[in-house]
Amino acid sequence: MSSKMKFSYYPGCSSQGSAKHLDESLRAIAPKIGIELEELDDWNCCGASVGHIGGGSLPNTALTGRNLAKAQQQGKQDVVTGCAACYLNTHAGNEKIKSDVKLRRQVNDALSAADLSYDDDLQVRHMCEVIVNDVGMDKIREQVTNPLTGLKVAGYVGCQTVRPFSSTDGGGNYDTYEDPDFLNDFTEACGAEAVDFNLKTSCCGGSVAVMSPDRTLHLIRDILQAAEDAEADVITTPCPLCQTNVEMYQDAINKKFGTKFNIPVIFYSQLMAVAFGMDPDKDAALKRNTIRARKLEKLAKK
Amino acid sequence: MPDGGTMVIEKKSGIYLCEGCGIADAIDVDALEALATGDLKTPHCKRHAAYCSAEGVAEIAADVKNGDVNQVLIAACSPRVMTDRFNFPGAQIIRANMREQVIWSHPPGEEDTNMLAADQLRIAVAQAGQFSPPEPHAEAEVAGALLLVVGGGVTGLTAALEAAHTGAEVILVEKTDTLGGWTRKWSRLLPERPPYRDPQPNDIADLIAAVEGDKAITVMTNTLVTSTAGGPGAFDVTLTQNGKNQSQSVGAIVVATGWRPYDPSLLEGLGYGASPDVVSDIEFEEILSSGEMKRKSNGDALNTVAFIISGDSDRMPYSSGLSDRIVIKQALQLLEAVPEAMIYVMHEDLRAHGMAEEFYRQAQEAGIIFQNGVVKSVGADLTITLEDRLIGEDVPMSGFDMVVLSTGMVPNSTNVDLEPAAKGADQLVDDVNPLAALLAAAKAGDGEEKAEEAPAPDTSEEADQDGANGEAAMPGGPILNLQYRQGPHLPVLANGYADSHFICFPYETRRTGIYTCGPVRRAMSVAEARQDAQGAVLKAFQAMRAADKAVSVHPRVGDLSYPEFGLDICTKCRRCTVECPFGAIDEMEDGYPVLNPTRCRRCGTCMGACPVRTINFKNYNISMITDMIKAVDVPDEFAEKPRILVFACENDAYPALDMAGINRHQLTPYVRILPVRCLGSVSATWVSTALESGYDGIMLLGCKSGDDYQCHFVKGSAIAQERMESVGATLESMMLEKERVRTEEVSIADSARVTALLNDYADEIKAIGYNPFKGF
Amino acid sequence: MTAALPETAENRYDLGFARWVRDNVEGGDKLSLCMQCGACSGSCPIGTQMDHGPRKIIAMIRAGMKDEVLSSNTLWNCTSCYRCTVRCPRGIPVTSIIQDLAAKAVEFGYADKKENALFAKSFWWSTSAFGRTDERLVTARYYFSLGFLEGIRRGLANLKIALGMVRTGRMHLGMPHKIKDIKGLTAILARAAEIEAEEANDEL
Repeated sequence: MSSKMKFSYYPGCSSQGSAKHLDESLRAIAPKIGIELEELDDWNCCGASVGHIGGGSLPNTALTGRNLAKAQQQGKQDVVTGCAACYLNTHAGNEKIKSDVKLRRQVNDALSAADLSYDDDLQVRHMCEVIVNDVGMDKIREQVTNPLTGLKVAGYVGCQTVRPFSSTDGGGNYDTYEDPDFLNDFTEACGAEAVDFNLKTSCCGGSVAVMSPDRTLHLIRDILQAAEDAEADVITTPCPLCQTNVEMYQDAINKKFGTKFNIPVIFYSQLMAVAFGMDPDKDAALKRNTIRARKLEKLAKK
Repeated sequence: MPDGGTMVIEKKSGIYLCEGCGIADAIDVDALEALATGDLKTPHCKRHAAYCSAEGVAEIAADVKNGDVNQVLIAACSPRVMTDRFNFPGAQIIRANMREQVIWSHPPGEEDTNMLAADQLRIAVAQAGQFSPPEPHAEAEVAGALLLVVGGGVTGLTAALEAAHTGAEVILVEKTDTLGGWTRKWSRLLPERPPYRDPQPNDIADLIAAVEGDKAITVMTNTLVTSTAGGPGAFDVTLTQNGKNQSQSVGAIVVATGWRPYDPSLLEGLGYGASPDVVSDIEFEEILSSGEMKRKSNGDALNTVAFIISGDSDRMPYSSGLSDRIVIKQALQLLEAVPEAMIYVMHEDLRAHGMAEEFYRQAQEAGIIFQNGVVKSVGADLTITLEDRLIGEDVPMSGFDMVVLSTGMVPNSTNVDLEPAAKGADQLVDDVNPLAALLAAAKAGDGEEKAEEAPAPDTSEEADQDGANGEAAMPGGPILNLQYRQGPHLPVLANGYADSHFICFPYETRRTGIYTCGPVRRAMSVAEARQDAQGAVLKAFQAMRAADKAVSVHPRVGDLSYPEFGLDICTKCRRCTVECPFGAIDEMEDGYPVLNPTRCRRCGTCMGACPVRTINFKNYNISMITDMIKAVDVPDEFAEKPRILVFACENDAYPALDMAGINRHQLTPYVRILPVRCLGSVSATWVSTALESGYDGIMLLGCKSGDDYQCHFVKGSAIAQERMESVGATLESMMLEKERVRTEEVSIADSARVTALLNDYADEIKAIGYNPFKGF
Repeated sequence: MTAALPETAENRYDLGFARWVRDNVEGGDKLSLCMQCGACSGSCPIGTQMDHGPRKIIAMIRAGMKDEVLSSNTLWNCTSCYRCTVRCPRGIPVTSIIQDLAAKAVEFGYADKKENALFAKSFWWSTSAFGRTDERLVTARYYFSLGFLEGIRRGLANLKIALGMVRTGRMHLGMPHKIKDIKGLTAILARAAEIEAEEANDEL
């Protein structure tokens, strides 16, 4: 491993909205763990889980094609993203374009309308996979100057960060689909305690929770309940949509089910930023959480 | 036979008490020695720390060689083990089981255990007293290695070729004018080699050419076997070719008469006959062979085709999973010919076991859709209504170009072209009811064999229930036309398949020296039929060689003994000729039984049947077991030690009891176990002897009976149960409890269960109380 | 655009539909691998709220039940958790099949008024117009696509959430974020749609 790994960084649309704190904290910790993030020039939306419905299959794939063409212009380095949906779409699209000759031809046909092309063999990777496979826990521990002793953390991985690629060669084979360890490893490397949390890969409802929350609130309730049962101070997650869903809907859930949840939901990168002794606001972006992680804030170095 | 033929003039017994394996620690060997030299009057009694050691074996061998002993009684481990070490030519070997059935299944040092050990020794000495070395029966003239193969399909062709390669001369008989049978009609065959995923080319032409080119094989087409007499080593067969008879003596017979298609019109509601586009799988094979993938009705292309695998219980026995594999094969071939075709396989159960799972996956991956459900109907417009259990409703599906019905293979256990034979229909009934023969004979109105003369109890009511009324018989006449007392057919069991002991002896029919193979035995593929043919040929060789040496085939392989009939007191009751499971005993013109020794398997069922106890083997006879029963020292009732006599079949029950010892299951101290060749050999007189001798209970342990029988002699355990029913009636008339005689079925794996059976029975007998005849 | 749906026969069950799915839906060629074990339905987080679980949807496709499949709410309840996909013992991409069927349902007019179809349309509007998803505008457009009153109702219901997002700087209030080369993107998407339409025509 070279001292610094350079990536084309694809932040995704949520980085400018609901998941700003993921973007900010990732950019903050990256240099500490030997990662250089060079933002992908003029990146566009990945299509998320409904793009093909609204726009059709090929236009949807062309979105990914454009991002990859931009990445190709930017250099040979791998593309990395912190967003589960961006990863899923871009990684899957990349693999399909690379392996399906006809699709590759069609995508390039479409890209030619903007004088772009993609014929490289780039890899599209998830930030968590990069941390597991390329950075390693030793490097994380080395950077911890402010161990989060006593903080109990429920590691909520969600779905698309691991499914359906975490156990494939293309996806880096970095963890299992059902019972991944990496998030707990991150937590413990930061000096916090990873509680036993059995819904770590349960679904929060994804985009259905945005569209029709009534159908999915019980899923989030179960996740919160499991975290509460495990006596977690905070839930940590790698996924923008999970973070927003599980955090935002707590009021609605309390109203619907008569519960009293008020559990902070933070990104693993926020946890790391605090453990690395970085600025709680500027680097860890803790004030962007609508439910403030008070215990973590107290542990943060002022 | 120089060894076995040595006549023993004077019995000189020697007892060898082994102290090894913990025997000396668990029982009082001094007391045994005192018993041997005292009460048992055998001064030649020796002890050794381990008789199976080189030194121990040498000691006994020296005694035999010096002429000191010619009967070696070894009290050591089970007679089932160390048979190679305890083998002293020129001497008879008697074994007393002191290890598995004494010290390993009873607590050491106890009085009861020592009593049991003493009884084991007494039994062995009693056995020795009635034991003579068997002599070979007068040998029939043996035909040498000439094998008759009946049936010129793939099975028969393979059998002929294999036999020729193994050194036999072969006559291959085929009833039609062409070799190759149904296999010639298959466009391609099921996969038989890794990766088991694609239909294979049909190479039957190569096989036919190989057979026709083999000098050791004489092919006779347009030929029937019109008569078969004699027995293994020298069957006398008449071959009729185009009306001309030819006599031939052959050593053994392989029957490979194959199959015929199951009638698709029997598949109710599946539309066969309603449209020319509803075809059977056999008919669809012709379409595949022709290469013209077209509808029969209008010649349109086959784009959407359904195969139906019906769960019809009548069809099932003839499908056996094979038809399901044929569906997969045909669907794959159709898809290869018409790559755009939509192909459905509608099935209730899909039986693609073993390597066929790969074949099934291949079909799925190729895009063939397997839809689970019950087909309710197929309309003339080919609309299929499927009760789809996974959707949960009846689904009418239309738009099919053709519907293919999976059928099955019906065994040619008879020749359907011939008229039924005048007698022997009882052998074509799905039953191993020991009375079937008698009942069928009575129903058929065979004057000489009316039930009143036959010894069967009154079971006329049961006859109909048992289906043993001849109506269930298969159509057609006999394949071999056996000139046997029991009729011209090879006996069949369930669904008309030629009967054999399915697990242990799949090729052996109930007619020694005649081996079935291929689809006459069960529905099977070409590859399986070829393997089957090899197995049957090997068995045929064994039979020819055994006949040559005058020894038995399985399961008493190599046994020289055979039943001898004391005709001076024979009452011509015919029980032995009727009950012999193998048709080995014929009747002379004057009604006396006559043994065909090469057909005999030495089970002793005739001995158990004989009411006047005049059928005996040199080394296994009525007097011997009677003496062994009486040898046991039965305590009087004040000792409060009941005695239970166990007749244990040596094939499964006795090994299971040994296994119980190996597993250290603790057995009630009250049992005394005698091995018997088969429960069929158990004579009613032994039961009465035991009751008179004061035993409190008698248990017969045999193999599973019924149409899934495990009895190594087919009917022995069923016959024993039947006989014990009559004994039960007798007991009641003697004011004795019926429970005092019991029959149980055990398998070789039942070591725990057999222990519990005996221990529970001991408790039950104690509860009933002592035999009132004790002490008389 | 996709090759035209087969005409529905008078019969409720149309085998042409199974063939059409096999040939036109992503993962449809894997349908024959299904052995109906039900691992997918058992794994689905909201399978109990679906008209039919994924297992049954596959059985229904194979039985040719076009209308029932395409109008089923199953397609719109899929949360894309991919649990069925990774658990399927036969490697069938169940999520992809369901997701693509949802797209086909929209394409062939089975889902015009379905909430999620409306959401997808709002989403695509933002993506194609700006190159990025503006969560505020997508949500607002989606709410009002449900009808003006429903829009107001949902907007109010989520007001507290929205305010929280604004307070923490996670909801952007000014002009939507846009990519620089929106012209290029529009051209790419237009060309892609054109290719798809051409392909569908070729198949007819």
